[in-house]
Amino acid sequence: MNAMMTRALRKQERVSQCITFIILGSVGIPIWNVLQKTYAADTEAASAATPLNTLSPPLDNLYTVLSISFVAILFGIACAFYLQEWLPQTNWVRRFIESIVAILGGVPSIFYGILATGIFFSYAGTLKTIGVVRAPQGPGDGAALESLSFPHDTPVFYIVVLTFILMVMPLTIKTTQAALRSVATPIREAAYALGASHWQVLKTQVIPIALTQILAAGCRAMSSALATVALIFGIYVWQYTDAPGEMSNRFVLFLSSALLFSIFSSILIKLCTSASADPAHPTR
Amino acid sequence: MKNKIEISGLEVHYEGKPALNRVSFDVHENEILGIIGPAQSGKTTLLKVINRTLEFVPEASMEGTVKLDGVDISTIGDVYGLRRRIGMVLPLPVGLPLSIYDNVAFAPRAAGLRAKSQLDELVERCLQQAALWDEVKDRLNTLGTKLSGGQQQRLTIARALSHAPEVLCLDEFSIAIDPVTTMRIEEVLKTLKKEMTILLVTNLVQQAKRLADRTAFFLNGDLVEIDTTDVIFSDTPTQQATYDYVNGTFG
Ligand SMILES: Nc1ncnc2c1ncn2[C@@H]1O[C@H](COP(=O)(O)OP(=O)(O)OP(=O)(O)O)[C@@H](O)[C@H]1O
Ligand SMILES: [Mg+2]
Repeated sequence: MNAMMTRALRKQERVSQCITFIILGSVGIPIWNVLQKTYAADTEAASAATPLNTLSPPLDNLYTVLSISFVAILFGIACAFYLQEWLPQTNWVRRFIESIVAILGGVPSIFYGILATGIFFSYAGTLKTIGVVRAPQGPGDGAALESLSFPHDTPVFYIVVLTFILMVMPLTIKTTQAALRSVATPIREAAYALGASHWQVLKTQVIPIALTQILAAGCRAMSSALATVALIFGIYVWQYTDAPGEMSNRFVLFLSSALLFSIFSSILIKLCTSASADPAHPTR
Repeated sequence: MKNKIEISGLEVHYEGKPALNRVSFDVHENEILGIIGPAQSGKTTLLKVINRTLEFVPEASMEGTVKLDGVDISTIGDVYGLRRRIGMVLPLPVGLPLSIYDNVAFAPRAAGLRAKSQLDELVERCLQQAALWDEVKDRLNTLGTKLSGGQQQRLTIARALSHAPEVLCLDEFSIAIDPVTTMRIEEVLKTLKKEMTILLVTNLVQQAKRLADRTAFFLNGDLVEIDTTDVIFSDTPTQQATYDYVNGTFG
């Protein structure tokens, strides 16, 4: 009875972890589209060729943000593993990165949002004058709607990307390192004493224990990225539109999908952690 | 008598603070060497040197040589293989967050053993040697960390035996185990002696007296005395400190 329950619990845990992974992974699919859009000389033709084209601009933005932050999070996790597991504590690269992370990670995400918005506006201003982004001509001007998506082939796009990376990476590195550190030293020592190699210890002990925390960190970072986009997007919308009805509809759509995503991911995390709480924190 | 372990001029410092001072002694093959001494005397440090887990303590530095079967362990390239030759039981049980079965099968699997039937047999034998089999035989798939403290400690003993070590190091293994079970495990140790060399660190001097063939007394990182257990526990050991410690009039 007991054995069966444990097995069922472990299965449930694994399933919910897989679901989270798939969701995070599916977010990565549009990366290709983004890249394609970025590098395509003819933006019109490229966007016509991608399935993203069928999505409304707010969803397009959501997808862009999620995929950018997904890449940044994966990169951040890899960084954290390298820093925590391979570099000694005294290594200057590790110290340097950790102090930067400590500084950047302490900045509330709203500041990044304001920073990005500022840059976005200054660029949007110049872009407008050179005609890349057309200013709305009057009430109900449809052209302004189209330019609401991030222009993928302009510096604005890269600035936004950079903002996300600046914002998401420190958060991910910090929390992943904390998750790895939380794997009790005695557990590692016991595994080493049994003749396991570094990689075996990571694979069989550290990663299973830290995984849910790392996933939670990733989802949290993505949520804060979304919040920042919502800010930029919202201010942009309200600044440039004369047709508040339609614009704010899109804004609300975007915000609510962002909110839904955040809630959904935190529920998933909750499921994961409640299923694996016991093996992760052995009582002693 | 053949020497299993030869330690010469072993010095360990933590951040410059000495933990072991120029310790030299031999451990004979198939003996139980009792290691006694008050807290902070460097007993655990000595065991960490032997299975080379002191390398994970960044602030520790080590000098001197430790030879296993005549080979300097610091020159052994396959450190994982070396650690599998040495079983280690720590004072507080550390159950890996795995099932009971997987806990015991961890080391054999890490060494590359995959055959289910062999693993089953091995797990059963080790759990029996650790006097745990009867209590857990019908719930091998529950988490090892869900067992009671004493059961977890016996699980770590089973785990240490699972890779058929040549040297078994026990660091205050009986802290969490009741006296009756301790006696059963002590009986097992006496039979295991035929197959392996046992280093028994203990705070219970009577346990060393019951089990050990020879006993070493450590004090503040110094090896005060090493001799046959009979001599150490007699009225006339070489050092007065040994007499005081063994008879409980120390300090
Ligand atoms: N990681 C460490 N960093 C700094 N000092 C340490 C470390 N580990 C042990 N020491 C010091 O080394 C000395 C010997 O410690 P050790 O654990 O070997 O003693 P012990 O004989 O096992 O004691 P006990 O009977 O309490 O287990 C102590 O003074 C201790 O403070
Ligand atoms: Mg100790």
